Amino acid sequence: MPSVQLNSHSENAEKKHIEHALLPFLQSQSQNTLTRLYQRPSSCLSLFRLLEPVERQIIMSLLWLESAIPQSTMNTWVNREGRKLYDEAIATLGRLNILPTNLTNKLALNTTFKMSFRQALTGGGTSGSFGVPAENDDKSPAQDLESLDSFALERWETILHYMVSSGTEQQPTKPSQGVLYLLQRSGLMSTFQGVLRITSAGFQFLLHSPHDQLWDLLLQYLHLAEERQMDLVEVLGFIFMLSTMELGKEYSTENLSGTQKAMLEDLRDYGLIWQRKPTSRRFSPTRLATTLTSASPPLPTSSGNSSGPQEGFIILETNYRVYAYTDNPLQTAVLNLFVSLKYRFPNLVVGSITRESVRKALANGITADQIISYLMSHAHPQMRKNNPLLPVTVQDQIRLWELERNRLKSQEGYLYTAFASQADYEFVLHYAKELDVVLWENASRRCFFGTLGGHANIKGFIERRAMGSNQ
Amino acid sequence: MRAIKGILLTCDAAVKQILLIMNEKESFIIEDLDDHHVVIKAEHEWRVRQDLESELEKNTYSVD
Amino acid sequence: MDNSSHLSVVLDLSPAQWYQSPLSLDSFLAQLLVFLNAHIALKHDNSLAVFGALPDKSVMLYASSEPPMDTPATSDPNCYPPFKRLDSAVTARISEQLEDPLLDVTTPSAIVGALTKALCYINRLSVATGLVDPRILILSVSPDLSNAYIPIMNSIFSAQKLKVTIDAGQIYGPDTVFLQQAAHLTGGSYLHLTETSALLQYLIMTFLPPPSIRKVIAVPTQDKIDFRAACFCHKNIVDIGFVCSVCLSIFCQPTPVCSTCRTKFPIKTLQRLNASRPLTISSANNSARPTPVSTPRSAATAARHPPMSAESIQNGSGTSAVANGSGH
Repeated sequence: MPSVQLNSHSENAEKKHIEHALLPFLQSQSQNTLTRLYQRPSSCLSLFRLLEPVERQIIMSLLWLESAIPQSTMNTWVNREGRKLYDEAIATLGRLNILPTNLTNKLALNTTFKMSFRQALTGGGTSGSFGVPAENDDKSPAQDLESLDSFALERWETILHYMVSSGTEQQPTKPSQGVLYLLQRSGLMSTFQGVLRITSAGFQFLLHSPHDQLWDLLLQYLHLAEERQMDLVEVLGFIFMLSTMELGKEYSTENLSGTQKAMLEDLRDYGLIWQRKPTSRRFSPTRLATTLTSASPPLPTSSGNSSGPQEGFIILETNYRVYAYTDNPLQTAVLNLFVSLKYRFPNLVVGSITRESVRKALANGITADQIISYLMSHAHPQMRKNNPLLPVTVQDQIRLWELERNRLKSQEGYLYTAFASQADYEFVLHYAKELDVVLWENASRRCFFGTLGGHANIKGFIERRAMGSNQ
Repeated sequence: MRAIKGILLTCDAAVKQILLIMNEKESFIIEDLDDHHVVIKAEHEWRVRQDLESELEKNTYSVD
Repeated sequence: MDNSSHLSVVLDLSPAQWYQSPLSLDSFLAQLLVFLNAHIALKHDNSLAVFGALPDKSVMLYASSEPPMDTPATSDPNCYPPFKRLDSAVTARISEQLEDPLLDVTTPSAIVGALTKALCYINRLSVATGLVDPRILILSVSPDLSNAYIPIMNSIFSAQKLKVTIDAGQIYGPDTVFLQQAAHLTGGSYLHLTETSALLQYLIMTFLPPPSIRKVIAVPTQDKIDFRAACFCHKNIVDIGFVCSVCLSIFCQPTPVCSTCRTKFPIKTLQRLNASRPLTISSANNSARPTPVSTPRSAATAARHPPMSAESIQNGSGTSAVANGSGH
């Protein structure tokens, strides 16, 4: 039996090394786009915060140097055991065009980035990249934090709730057309017999943290913007600007570009900004927007009600029982993905993790790891006293149920057999191995199994050989 | 030399035995390769998976 | 590794010292503010507190947990709002303090008071929210105040207990013995700035990385540390000290009664110790006390690492000079 014990500590340590979802996207952009993006101080600051700690320190160390410094000088500051991390950091910064690679073996920041980021730290300039505050208006004062939070929460949960209850009899509120299109476009939902249904990617999405979900969607939005020929620099610049804004303040739309004004509607649909009415000339960022580059929770209280501490609400016992202190329909619906629910009380849902419920989740494309990490991240404070956090028996069993489903692995292809001689067999096998299409071989039986894709090549090879020997 | 189109199933020894017994009822195995591999006819894959599932299901017990 | 970090900065604002320094206070503050902004920039959740050590008093200048009230000036489209708030609060508070007519500029500044406040503040935050890796950075321009030895040592012990790292930077004047020890004993970094033109670069390279990053990118550490202590009786920094075997108090000359724990020592021991005292050092102790710079560090015979016992002093110095108590 495989030992699948996990302690929450190593899990956390692993998570830290995963780079931010936005970075691969940025690295795929042209140097020109990146340099244009770095013209705005707010973009530099926000991007800086998405980087790894070592990368941030390298940028800071180089920021105030006027001339390039030799790599060897910088290397003397690196401890031997940190060497690998440091080299990786330098490489990432190179790909982001923050630390352009050059032939002279010297390190110097991208000049545009350097100027903008210096300006971000010292203030000044005329870029207005941190958002132009709207004039105070006595007739319509700014929204208070509470109503902003509840607006963001309502928008966000509408999207998630729509996803989780698609394909069931429930008829939740539909999000706007723009959101539906984005969900479809990102492959989180797809049309099945004329009805929009959640996909297995969608199920996995539901178990992510709100922060990851938000960036997932924004990333899809960026891809969409690329297709729509929108200027990525404008789109990203606006998102980054939102992340540096102050919660509870109103900003003017006057200084926004055409692209950015067009984004207002989409961002309103996602709950990132609030506007009194669509034509309003002012907008307020919500907590979803202002926490984009931070670790603080993007949603005020993940369920917006008074049912106890919201950072964790699930108690899992060794007998597979699950007690979830929530009255939030979305959380209940998400739990329902892998828990068979038994009783429902005003502030409590009771269910148990069973073989059937987990198999249903696995069939939906959710993995055992995702179930376990969801349970961990939403564990009730009371559970946090346990070490390991979740009962090991339950964790192991969920993983075993997953293994059980994969007892049979099938690969389509061709079985090559009845070779005339051993030499013949080895000759063809050698060729197939070079193509890397061999799935199984047995020399004593003189046969091997090749993939479907490799068949045409092998067939051609054998025919050419046969023709050659005939002549 | 012959090339036969089919599906390579990789499985554990226990599942392999169940497959062999199922094969006696209705033949679908093209070639029995070794303890962990067997080649079957492509068109039977879905049915074999279903049958195997229900066979394995007979050996599981739930608390309810 | 990527946790938010807390930094409390203790600024020595002694007007008399800044007056002598080649670097003006204004240009120091300009560079310091960029450094503080850089700390906030590193991570959205990084917290910061700034304490000022003024002549005879210490004040909290800024704390990110209690942001100052918004003023119209904080809405600037070209500036990240938290930076703006921090910068204007710190500058305003400092000038308000320095313009105080009751300020006696010649009194040495209360670094220990500010340090203690910083420790109390960190302790309060730790209890409330659980800080990871809190740090204190002391930027000083004043020479050691030998009567501050005991309170500084006590602060160091509390810092050790709270797992607070103390970094120290001496921006003007001679090396300070106490800050070196504070940095060394709490695993921090000590920097004696001789070159003030690139102050910001020094600050960023040395004091910006939180302890977790220092495993990857090294910060300057001391290769030589002045471990000398100040005596309890005359507050002199001593090369050879006499340690009460009961309470470990340090004296610059043998005493018949320990002033701290009231232990009486036999006359015989006193005579023996007095006889063994090298004359040169005893005169140096009583008249002109050696500055840390003028004394070669290897000659710091009574190098007293505070947790060390009386025996280690005996071993450490060639001329053993230990007051033996006989009260038992």
